[in-house]
Amino acid sequence: MKLKEFLKKANLGGKAKLVWYYFVIWLKMGKNAFMVYLNQKKILAIFLIGKIIRFVLFLTFLYFLVSGAGDLAGYTSDEVIFFFLSFNLVDVVSQFLFREVYRFRTMVVSGDLDLVLVKPLNPLFRILFGGADIIDFITIPPLVAATFYYGARLNPGFLEVVFYLALLVNSLLISAAFYIAVISAAIVTYEVDHTVMIFRDLSRLGTVPVDIYKDPLRFVITYIIPIGIMLSFPAKAFLGVLGIKLILVSFLFGAFSLFFSLRFWEYAIKKYTSASS
Amino acid sequence: MRRSGIKENINKAVVVSGLVKNFEVLEKGARNIDRIKSLLKPKKKVVTALKGISFSIGKGELVGFIGANGAGKTTTMKILSGLLYPTAGFVQVLGFNPWDRKREFLKRISLVMGQKNQLWWDLPAIDTLELNRAIYEIPHLTFKKVLDELVEILDVKDLLTTPVRKLSLGQRMRFELIAALIHQPEVLFLDEPTIGLDVVGQQAIRDFIYQYNRKFSATVMLTSHNMSDLVDLTKRVIVIDKGEIVFDGKLTDLITNYAKEKIIKIYFSGDVNIGSLEKICKIRRYAYPEAVISVDRSLAAFTAAELLQNFPVADITIEEEGIESIVRRVFRGEAVNG
Amino acid sequence: MVRLTMYKYFQVGKTSLKQEIAYPINFVMWRVRNIIQILLVLFLWDSLISDPRKVLFGYSRDMILTYIFGIMLVRAFVLSSKSMDVAGEVARGELSNYLIRPVNYFFYWLSRDFASKVLNLSFVFVEFSLLFLILRPDFFFQTNIFYIGFFIFSVFIGILIYTLFLFITSSVTFWMPEMGWGAHFLLNVVLVEFLSGVLFPLDILPQAIQKVINFLPLPYLVYFPLQIYLGKQSTYELVRGFVVEIFWLGALALFLNFIWKKGLKVYESQGR
Repeated sequence: MKLKEFLKKANLGGKAKLVWYYFVIWLKMGKNAFMVYLNQKKILAIFLIGKIIRFVLFLTFLYFLVSGAGDLAGYTSDEVIFFFLSFNLVDVVSQFLFREVYRFRTMVVSGDLDLVLVKPLNPLFRILFGGADIIDFITIPPLVAATFYYGARLNPGFLEVVFYLALLVNSLLISAAFYIAVISAAIVTYEVDHTVMIFRDLSRLGTVPVDIYKDPLRFVITYIIPIGIMLSFPAKAFLGVLGIKLILVSFLFGAFSLFFSLRFWEYAIKKYTSASS
Repeated sequence: MRRSGIKENINKAVVVSGLVKNFEVLEKGARNIDRIKSLLKPKKKVVTALKGISFSIGKGELVGFIGANGAGKTTTMKILSGLLYPTAGFVQVLGFNPWDRKREFLKRISLVMGQKNQLWWDLPAIDTLELNRAIYEIPHLTFKKVLDELVEILDVKDLLTTPVRKLSLGQRMRFELIAALIHQPEVLFLDEPTIGLDVVGQQAIRDFIYQYNRKFSATVMLTSHNMSDLVDLTKRVIVIDKGEIVFDGKLTDLITNYAKEKIIKIYFSGDVNIGSLEKICKIRRYAYPEAVISVDRSLAAFTAAELLQNFPVADITIEEEGIESIVRRVFRGEAVNG
Repeated sequence: MVRLTMYKYFQVGKTSLKQEIAYPINFVMWRVRNIIQILLVLFLWDSLISDPRKVLFGYSRDMILTYIFGIMLVRAFVLSSKSMDVAGEVARGELSNYLIRPVNYFFYWLSRDFASKVLNLSFVFVEFSLLFLILRPDFFFQTNIFYIGFFIFSVFIGILIYTLFLFITSSVTFWMPEMGWGAHFLLNVVLVEFLSGVLFPLDILPQAIQKVINFLPLPYLVYFPLQIYLGKQSTYELVRGFVVEIFWLGALALFLNFIWKKGLKVYESQGR
């Protein structure tokens, strides 16, 4: 009886329906984005080739460099490569999911955002997930395979693997929080491109373990601009060199950043709808 | 209309009462030093866009909303569709408070703004429409039926699979309308739907709006700078000027209210001294032997008599000022108190 | 006549500079991005050779840090070019605006670039000093005036080669207007990143690969000038380097001339 009431209150059926509703729309938008790319097959190919070349060359470079020097900040070359792969995993998946953010400025400036807001669909959902990037999608499976292969070579414990996966999800949440903050800032200041580009540049600092940087830079890019938490901590947890305290700090950071960016979004959207004519 | 109770509201699609909208505008100086100062200590200026307007629109009505640029038309539209939240006053659309932006509400309205797009640029329109089908949760059969009907009326059936970027502006606007109407909204807000279109395109959109209003008995609110839009489509118009409603009534009444002048057409039978003609009236056009002059309503009879007396007149007619020229004056924001 | 022509391009540069200063945020952001990009390389090597007595791939700590600080400087000169906009101008058909005027389009962009480099240089000077004071790296000062002279000369040729490179890449848009950005990404971002020496000095690579790379134009953008500064080139290598570099300068110029003429025909026939 009580369980029934509880279930009724929780309205799980309704929630599942809502999730399904959004999932279907996400698929449709993804399909549309994919169709757009299909119109530009050559460009797709060029960018794909460029990204793969860049990835392979950098990987080779890191391998030779670290094996030549013996170690990098105490990590072996296999470990450094695992850092690099984890970085790419977070980077590529978030690029794949949140690609639409790059088009947001145009949407604000042209006013097309108005037509998004009058739809019975969470506007944030449309803006963040509206254009899943197929180029990045293609690269995800081989990347996962490579990460798995190198990860297995490092003989991790069960708990380490669990922490690693959980921290990867946490990184995606932080990344989502960052993009939400960016689009909110875009509404308030009309500026996106530079912020995003600088963040992209900064996050490339995370291709190698953040341990190589010296304070105060290391502190800043670990905790303030959370590149360390996002890109280095999962791999560190995997290698068992991240204390449980810092793992908890990461999750707290993820939760807080998402919370605050959502508040910022609410503020921004209220500002948008109270300004301009 | 304002306090007559809930009963009347049932038949009303839109009820607005004492609606005020203020904007905060940051004052930026012209000189660089002022700009830096304004960064440190922003000076805010409050601009009142709507000064407590009230009106209501019945279900199935088609109402034109006119006024000069910056009079507050678009602001009102945006408030009614939930894009802007009001500073003060009461707003209800289909029994909802628009600003809550409830899904049930948004599913029953639509907003079309000329020059703002929802169609995916590189894809055929059908892909956007399919996406909207999912967003508005339209059953497949209904979707197909409504779509067939809409493309039929707008005559764009063959273009459904053409990438939007390859369409002309007129064709694109038609698909924008279809995308906005595929969920059969009960209330439709149209902000400058014919802007930038050629005459044929404008006519197609107009015919369509008229038919949609009839067929689906939808409530339509329309702003336009295009006089033909208003003259062809709307029986009732609301004129807004500097955030206040200065007229709300039949379009024909607007003319009698606003027409200050009458038009006199004269055919002369002999030579005319233009100088002496100018002394008694305002010449709009002169090409011998025809002259078109305008005079104040009250002086029309007197001037006509004078003309007949002093000039070689073959024929003379006195007409009301045309509706187009009145509406044009309203757009210019000429304060005309009926 | 010559003076008049020079004055014309001087004016082009001046106007371009003014335009760049008109958007100070864009410019500052671009400089900030440059600094961030160098940080990865800097700390990577700093961490790899933390011991001053250690020699890795033939580089001691002071040599490698000097190399990386040198990258900042040479990048600002050679790789900070605005000529990539050529692709956009061709694709959008704005090239026509120049074809009807008495200007040489290549020199037009070159003057814009030089103006831009002057601005960049002043910023790099500040950045360089700041980073130097903060990090206090072990630094190798070249005292041989000949090496410094050759260094400056090779940077100058590097600028020309890179501009030619950008123009040639942009020529793709004559045939495929939408490909400009893709071609730029592949050639001038990815390849330059690995083969010009902005990520690592090329002589850490195996000898066989080096031999091939040295015959490509890319190492002459960053790596070769810095090798001269560090005095790491033997006289033979120096002469060979300059011969190859100047050969590429001529070859690329001829190639651009050829491809540009062909492209213009396509451009005009399409009436863009």
